[in-house]
Amino acid sequence: MNAPSKPFRFVSSNRRVREDRRFVAGKGRYVADIVLPDMLHVALVASQYPAARIVSIDSSQALAADGVHAVLTGEDLAAATDPLMNGLDTPRVKRYPLAVDQARYSGEWVAAVVADSRALAEDAAELVRVDYDPVAHVVDVEEAMGSGSPLVHPAHGTNVLLDKTFNWGEVDRHFSEAAHQLDFRVTWGRNSTVPIETFGVVAQWDPWAEMLDVWASIQMPKYSDQIARALRIPLNKVRVHQDVDVGGSYGVKRGIKHTVLAAHLARTLGRPVRLIEDRLENMRAGDAHGPERIFDVSVAYETDGRIRSMKMRATDNVGAYAGRAPFQLGKPIGAIVGPYRIESVRYQARSVMTNKTVQEAVRGFGQSPTNYAIETAVDKVAAALGMDRLEVRRRNFIESDQFPYLIPSGTRYDSGDYHTVARKVVDAIDYKALIEERDRLRGEGLLAGIGIASCLEPSGGNSSFEPLLNEKNETTTWMDSCRINVDGLGYVTATIHTTSAGQGHETLTSTVLGEVLEIDPERIQIVRPDTLSSLPSNSPVGSRMAIMLGGAAFKAAEKLKQQLVAIGAHRLGCEADDARYEAGAVIAPDGKRIEWAELVNIAHRRYHDLPPGMTPGLEATHIMQVPTGGKLPEDGRVQMYPCHSFEFHMLLVAIDPVLGKPEIRRYVIGHDCGTVINPHIVKGMTLGGIAHGLGAALLEEFAYDAEGQLLAQSFMDYLLPSSHEVPHVEIVHHCTPSPFTVFGQKGSGESGYLGAPAAISGAINDAVRHLGIGFHSLPIRISAIGDTVAEASDTLKKD
Amino acid sequence: MKLDIGGNETFSISRQKLWEALNDPDVLTRCIPGCKAMTETAPDAYRVEMQLRVAAVGGSFEGAIALKDKEPPSVCTISVSGQGTLGNGKGDARFEIVELEDGGSRLDYSGVGEVGGLVAGVGQRILGSVSRNLIGRFFTGLRKELEAAPGGKA
Repeated sequence: MNAPSKPFRFVSSNRRVREDRRFVAGKGRYVADIVLPDMLHVALVASQYPAARIVSIDSSQALAADGVHAVLTGEDLAAATDPLMNGLDTPRVKRYPLAVDQARYSGEWVAAVVADSRALAEDAAELVRVDYDPVAHVVDVEEAMGSGSPLVHPAHGTNVLLDKTFNWGEVDRHFSEAAHQLDFRVTWGRNSTVPIETFGVVAQWDPWAEMLDVWASIQMPKYSDQIARALRIPLNKVRVHQDVDVGGSYGVKRGIKHTVLAAHLARTLGRPVRLIEDRLENMRAGDAHGPERIFDVSVAYETDGRIRSMKMRATDNVGAYAGRAPFQLGKPIGAIVGPYRIESVRYQARSVMTNKTVQEAVRGFGQSPTNYAIETAVDKVAAALGMDRLEVRRRNFIESDQFPYLIPSGTRYDSGDYHTVARKVVDAIDYKALIEERDRLRGEGLLAGIGIASCLEPSGGNSSFEPLLNEKNETTTWMDSCRINVDGLGYVTATIHTTSAGQGHETLTSTVLGEVLEIDPERIQIVRPDTLSSLPSNSPVGSRMAIMLGGAAFKAAEKLKQQLVAIGAHRLGCEADDARYEAGAVIAPDGKRIEWAELVNIAHRRYHDLPPGMTPGLEATHIMQVPTGGKLPEDGRVQMYPCHSFEFHMLLVAIDPVLGKPEIRRYVIGHDCGTVINPHIVKGMTLGGIAHGLGAALLEEFAYDAEGQLLAQSFMDYLLPSSHEVPHVEIVHHCTPSPFTVFGQKGSGESGYLGAPAAISGAINDAVRHLGIGFHSLPIRISAIGDTVAEASDTLKKD
Repeated sequence: MKLDIGGNETFSISRQKLWEALNDPDVLTRCIPGCKAMTETAPDAYRVEMQLRVAAVGGSFEGAIALKDKEPPSVCTISVSGQGTLGNGKGDARFEIVELEDGGSRLDYSGVGEVGGLVAGVGQRILGSVSRNLIGRFFTGLRKELEAAPGGKA
């Protein structure tokens, strides 16, 4: 860790988030604000069947309608573009923006209508006549693995995209040695993040410059690479404008199929084309759906509560195409034992296609479902032994003096102090009093339960899961960059090479630069060059930007500082090593100093005063490799992410046994993400993450019926948590710096969400355990609680 | 999603008159809610154009109706299939007309349908009541039609 010896001036201080000003004032610049002359609009024709051959598409009526310029079918598009990129080695699972020959899920885009306005395009879309021949479909993941199942992609020969088993350590020996074992199944429902802004893109092709300009509500690594590949044009002909605010994402703003479609239309029609999803398009065929996963878990444990070994089989229903989903089974390998000293693990990852909407990345990239499975195992061990759930966790925690701690799957956890964070929460909530309160509520006739979850947030987003799951993939870097320029008048401008979806990267970068350069962060301008002017970035995924963009900004600022010191020392006639830098000035050992203005003046105008060999101007760049990254997997083991934030949840829930509606009475989270760069951003992430986790635990699900129809495609049926459900949350902080980052910071973009579903599920199960029932699939709906409790109460009465 | 319908309706007209009315495309065009046109494509087969609204979803639908397994003047199976940009549906319903002692008649009907597309996704919560409402409107229309027709008992 390179943390300066002096206390932080700006880092960790109570400074407002600079982006908030424009957002609060309603002056963000979103993709819908990009209005180009002669712009055309797209509406989509969606498949009504989960699986149907497309016999014919009759566009004649639509083309004859007012203001309509084109109707594009999948067949036309596939002839002109390459399939969308897919990180797995499954070449026969081809995906294009529009269905080709066959629709594979209800809602899949079959044709695109382009008109002078979105309204005209929508009207004309109703006139497109598609003749379908429905074929057999499958929506259940286990049925899809069966030998008689309809195939989503017959050419692939199976619905299984990935089935890989890892053995880390002596699982069989530990299972035979341990005094006890237990097995269970839990299911994570298909949910998402549902940002207010749906995905949107504007594409423009300039045939004279041979340039594709793209404005998009995007959060995706390698976005322009994928556009260029699909459109078969050089990457330096794709210019993505990154100065577009993204109205929320957490993984779901992928938008590659939208972009390839709009860009192709812009090229062929010679007009700018805009495609902005409406809510229905977003919910049923955008990139909105997250993991849907069955976990079959066995754990071997001792009588004292120590968990020796775990077998976990995760079966993921990824929907109709490969998408990004299979890798969401890979990332959790980097924290597969959670915060516990589990000695060995067998992990089977199965990724299976069905006739549902394609699964894409969602906050945590598969980690929150995995944490839910691990935490359920811990609760079950406690129940089986009749031990307190807190005590079982304590007996399994990795101790603070064991870091860096190597887990069986090859990742070394950087740092942590789990006992202290747990103790802080136990003190803050007064665990003993909480148990008394729970029992008092029970005495009043309510169902009441306490939930506990402790889990990790792997952060610093690397992509080691790609080579781990696909041997042909040799990616070992996932860099990010920052460039600082000090202009001729002495003002500082720094660059971010990605869009942001509310993570506060401008605040992050200016705070880090201000800290290192010892200047007011408010005076530092942050800009976002377009992709052709950008340094490499892998976008804000995997809780990485505090570590990666913060790290790159830190290193670039250090380089700039070295230049300033060299210039100053040369002018002062001393050695650079003897001079020191302070708040923009360079000071010689004798106390003589050169101020910022003169240093800048020398660099920009007085070449004769520059040290020999130094280039004029003041600019510094750093392209940062992920700390601890860079190696290919060996023997099924790899260092996944560099940093591991820790969170410890404790809550009390009360349920009216007749209504079945859970009410959270108290919620405390202990959070340790190392050095906090901006407390407001971390707090916002954590509170939002808990609300998001509450949705996953109790409300949100993209539910399908047996006929393959998506039933929850509007907010009437896809229930989001509101102020009625989200409790007041108390946050208890702790700071265990990471040894691998510049200030000791770790990630926090997924905080709260990673443990809340497990904790809330635990609380509800604690509330109903005495009835002999339990809930093993999320979301745990009010109706399920009400019905199951009523049934169990009736049975108890009869007995 | 699957949809079950069923019920019965009593009329003051004779079984024969009710049977004739239910086999008359002009009568049906006037009585089926949202029906714009009904064209005979073959004996006992029709093409229909409809304009319907379910919850927030409205649109035009094209469908086919076929009458099968007829046992005049009492039993018939109706097969319906239709699709529009906003949804699709298909179903079979069987009806039987029973003569009543007072000279009137009673129509018993039951059937299953399957609905897909946006109508199913967005309208699922109310699809059951919407279908009951549509059937109710059909019978209201039919009753009005038969009462207005010469020879119908008032």
